[in-house]
Amino acid sequence: MARNEDRQLYHYTCQLDPPSDDLFPCVKVVQLTSLRPTADLFCSLLRDALKAELLRGQMKSVKGFVKTCYSEMLVASGNEEDDRDGSVAKAESMAGNSSDSMYLGGLGLKFKFPGDARKLREASKTKLWTTYLKAHGRNLSLVRYPQCTRLVQVGLPNRLRGEMWETLSGSIYLRFSNPGEYERLLEENKGRTSTSTEEIEKDLHRSLPEYPAYQSEDGIGALRRVLQAYSFKNPDTGYCQAMNILAAAILIYMSEEQAFWLLDVICDRLLPGYYSPSMHGTLLDQRVFESLVHRCLPIIYEHFMAVDVQLSVASLPWFLSLFINSMPMVFAFRIIDCFFCLASQIASLYDAKSHIQTIAILKINGEKLLQIQDDGGFIHLMRDYFSSLGASAHPESSDPRARAITRFQELLLVSFREFAIITDETIQAERRKFRGEVIHSIESFSKRSAVRNLKTLERFTKEQAGSIYDALFKAICIEPPPATVLPPPSLLTTKENSEERPETRVGLKTFKVFLSEIATWARVEKIVSNGFQQRAEREVAEHEFIDRLFFFWDTNYRGALSFQDLVSGLDGVMFNDLMENIEWFFNLHDKNKDGFLTKDEVLTLSESLLFIFRYEVGDAYLGAVSRFMSNAFEYGDALLPRPEGADPNSEATTPIESNQPYINLATFRMVVLADEILESFFETDFSSTFKLEPVPMMDLPPSHTGLLGSLWTTITSDDNRKILNRFTDEVGKSIGKHQVLYRPAIGKITALEEPKARESLLTPTMRRSTSKASLKSAEDILVPSSFSAPANLNLSEPTSSIPSAEYSPMPTMFEAARANAAALMERTPFAIDDAKDDDEDTEEDTEGEEDDVMDEVDAFLEAHDSGLSAAEQELAQDLIHAEPVK
Amino acid sequence: MSDPSGSAADKSVQVKLVLLGEAAVGKSSIVLRFVSNEFQANKEPTIGAAFLTQKCRLEDRVLRYEIWDTAGQERFHSLAPMYYRNAQAAVVVYDITKGSSLEKAKTWVKELQRQANPNIVIALVGNKVDLVQPSASSSSPATTPEPEDEADDATATPGEPSAGGEPESLRQVPREEAEAYAQEAGLLFFETSAKTGEGIVEIFTEIAKKIPIEQILASSRGGAGRAGAAGGRAGAGRTEGGVSLEENGSKGKDACNC
Ligand SMILES: Nc1nc2c(ncn2[C@@H]2O[C@H](COP(=O)(O)OP(=O)(O)OP(=O)(O)O)[C@@H](O)[C@H]2O)c(=O)[nH]1
Ligand SMILES: [Mg+2]
Repeated sequence: MARNEDRQLYHYTCQLDPPSDDLFPCVKVVQLTSLRPTADLFCSLLRDALKAELLRGQMKSVKGFVKTCYSEMLVASGNEEDDRDGSVAKAESMAGNSSDSMYLGGLGLKFKFPGDARKLREASKTKLWTTYLKAHGRNLSLVRYPQCTRLVQVGLPNRLRGEMWETLSGSIYLRFSNPGEYERLLEENKGRTSTSTEEIEKDLHRSLPEYPAYQSEDGIGALRRVLQAYSFKNPDTGYCQAMNILAAAILIYMSEEQAFWLLDVICDRLLPGYYSPSMHGTLLDQRVFESLVHRCLPIIYEHFMAVDVQLSVASLPWFLSLFINSMPMVFAFRIIDCFFCLASQIASLYDAKSHIQTIAILKINGEKLLQIQDDGGFIHLMRDYFSSLGASAHPESSDPRARAITRFQELLLVSFREFAIITDETIQAERRKFRGEVIHSIESFSKRSAVRNLKTLERFTKEQAGSIYDALFKAICIEPPPATVLPPPSLLTTKENSEERPETRVGLKTFKVFLSEIATWARVEKIVSNGFQQRAEREVAEHEFIDRLFFFWDTNYRGALSFQDLVSGLDGVMFNDLMENIEWFFNLHDKNKDGFLTKDEVLTLSESLLFIFRYEVGDAYLGAVSRFMSNAFEYGDALLPRPEGADPNSEATTPIESNQPYINLATFRMVVLADEILESFFETDFSSTFKLEPVPMMDLPPSHTGLLGSLWTTITSDDNRKILNRFTDEVGKSIGKHQVLYRPAIGKITALEEPKARESLLTPTMRRSTSKASLKSAEDILVPSSFSAPANLNLSEPTSSIPSAEYSPMPTMFEAARANAAALMERTPFAIDDAKDDDEDTEEDTEGEEDDVMDEVDAFLEAHDSGLSAAEQELAQDLIHAEPVK
Repeated sequence: MSDPSGSAADKSVQVKLVLLGEAAVGKSSIVLRFVSNEFQANKEPTIGAAFLTQKCRLEDRVLRYEIWDTAGQERFHSLAPMYYRNAQAAVVVYDITKGSSLEKAKTWVKELQRQANPNIVIALVGNKVDLVQPSASSSSPATTPEPEDEADDATATPGEPSAGGEPESLRQVPREEAEAYAQEAGLLFFETSAKTGEGIVEIFTEIAKKIPIEQILASSRGGAGRAGAAGGRAGAGRTEGGVSLEENGSKGKDACNC
């Protein structure tokens, strides 16, 4: 049994043969149609996933788990007979008697499902689904064929709906692998109150109040528990209005625990950032939506611009509550069916779904929309349209079949037929495009108030603090902070000021992204060329130095940084002069703050310097660090306090442990100032690696058309680009054309000259007294033998092939040295990483001529570019031929 | 009087009004009462913002309120500037049975005074007075719309709660305290009940009296630019004559929400 992610993968790359029998662990034959590397990758992924699954020992719990699934009951009962309406009722009564089945269900079981079961053709839908589930697996082991999507389009039967939502969205896997978590969350936080619980309380009676369950404690209690459990699990998101409506809606179809996990998936994965305190996801999607309307329906868009109607006036609530409040519930639920089905099928976090349908809604109402003069008119038109979704779309038509098509069916048809071009990728690309804009224009409000709420601006101006906020916000968009662990309840209940929201704090991961926006050395900027193409890439750098900085700035030991922490932290480094910088650097590495660095800390500090210098051209910086180390150990030993009466010339001083206090700030300063390069680094260069402007795009050299130039521009999908990049890189490596140029963090030295170390400050006697042992030990710990002569390094030495890999101590130095050597030869402003000898096998490709390569690339792209549009067209076809509602 | 919006724009003065205040204080209920003279218990929270319009007749012209009813929850706060930008009037609502809601109202007032249109007319409204009046709290069934004349009565007798018979147990914000603050900050002040209709129409008539209509007309003649949000689109209309509001409460009947 494969996990959900894997299933998505093979949906994309392979075919599955249906199982021959319907016993639970059914046989699945996997047939791959892809290039070998892809196939290998797939197989190993599958193998690993299966192994991991077995290791987790959860297979045993499968049996008990599936008993909670209605689908099992359906399949079991469906075997018996074929009478049309009777089968389900019979099955239910059967299940009721048997103590064995304990399948879950929602409030609808007791309070009725919305809509008329006959009109919804419940019985025939159930029958179709029973057949499908029997043939292709169900709940945990459901395999999705295009037919599945089609069935979802036709509508899910009420009784099965909750479970199918779970299965389609993937939340069933969370429920499966976290048994008891929901109850535990509620139990552990019993009686706790917070801003979220207060806000939840206010809205409990304001969630689908017309549905009978929410007029009784049954519904209210369930809703309270689900919303509270979510807010306990994700205190950063907590509770946002609209979640109550969502939760109330899904609780009609599923149990509390199921609803809890589904809500979790919706808020965190399907609609990330929609309900967060900054609501950045919502704002971003509004921009994306507007731009899609501009592209797909330019006339309507122009009209709206002309009469100054804001689309988001109407669409913001649609997106936030998934249409539940906007259209009759039966229709909203069918939209949600599609939402879950497509959102996860595209194997991405985002949904194209509500965009498509919203645009279809506008398209259908096109003519009327052009008459609209203001926001009010727009909202009224939409309200009228939604309330008439059940009416015939073509009431005047002479063809009874056409008359029978409801407006809702028309809506789905139009969504799929006309807007199949809007793929998830389109939306992703749009999102990327607008991300920056949204970040800067997030109504500039939250920014201003965040800046205003700072306890101190330190030495920054408001604008500069604003830039820091921008960088932080961008980082949060890219790397949303994970839910933090709740502080103990006692801390939370003592709240004098109920208005106070918990501050947004970011963890280490987000911090790295943040820092990469500010400091040049915290990012990796490179130009990759592989013989086919050249491209600029930016990554977030990883190094212990950055981790250290994070904890250094975390002055309250909370494991997370607030905006204020970042402002104060940056203040501590950005305005420093030479002496202050030296001190700052010293303190950063003085872990126990005793005013001394240990030998280990001296080494770590050197590591940090090497990290910052890693892409500098020439070996000047490398030399500086090497001199720094030898000087530090030399002076350190010389200035060590000696036991009373010891012979100052004796070499036999007791060697000091690597973790004992070793050099103090004064010594450190002296060592630094002994070197021109380091002095200028601490004087100006280091401060200037911090920049508060947005990071500029890397400019590519003009001649980058390369072999794949035209092909490149025609690939629209980002994922495909990534695949192409990876692929051409592989080929490039195998034909020795792969090359990576890095942008240096300081970039001051572009020519190669050897700056001289200043004269030693030590008198000859002192020098003599320096313990050789210290130096020796330093070399043993850190310095590879080749360090002193980087230019002699052999380029073809096997090294890690991925230059952006983590900079663990050895490779950092090693790579810096290699980069140096390469720079010596190439004399480009970028250091070079030549990944010539790659150990990955690309046998078929190595002997390949360029033509062959091209063919392969074509085939590869073809295999990957067959998006979903075909399936969607088919689906639209199917809908046209679907039997009309009676 | 339900003109299609196109032609109405020629005759009426458009006033953009925004409602702000903590969640669940009754903003949407106030608008619903004003626009359709209805009340719904357990109204769903506003997501984002809602938009409604309502006309008020002045002596010789019609005032057309474009009402933006915003969401109250703190995290929707960042969307609010979109709605109060270019607003000529703001109704900041708090719940008299909830002390913290007045604090929130004060922060809204501060923000408006700092960031909104400098001539904005602000009204501070303490809602849910029915909860502290023994007669009203139990009588009318919540979901039934009030008869129109009752709303008119409320207009005739401004929401002056009889200090004697009030069960003060539920009240957390004394009228005097809020009124003093309103005076100090230069705000109109009302205590209302969206449930009974008490004081609701008054808010809008008093605002109408205080709005510098001549200025609006003058600026809209100068060409209403598309200044960001959907505001500043006041249609050109007749300008001569003083501004005084029709005193008999016929607004309820004129109500049309197009
Ligand atoms: N007793 C009483 N209840 C009221 C009154 N006004 C509103 N309510 C109730 O208070 C609750 C909140 O009312 P809403 O109008 O939705 O509040 P809101 O300020 O729009 O809330 P958000 O949209 O969340 O910002 C509802 O349950 C109303 O029925 C009132 O005057 N008296
Ligand atoms: Mg509201």
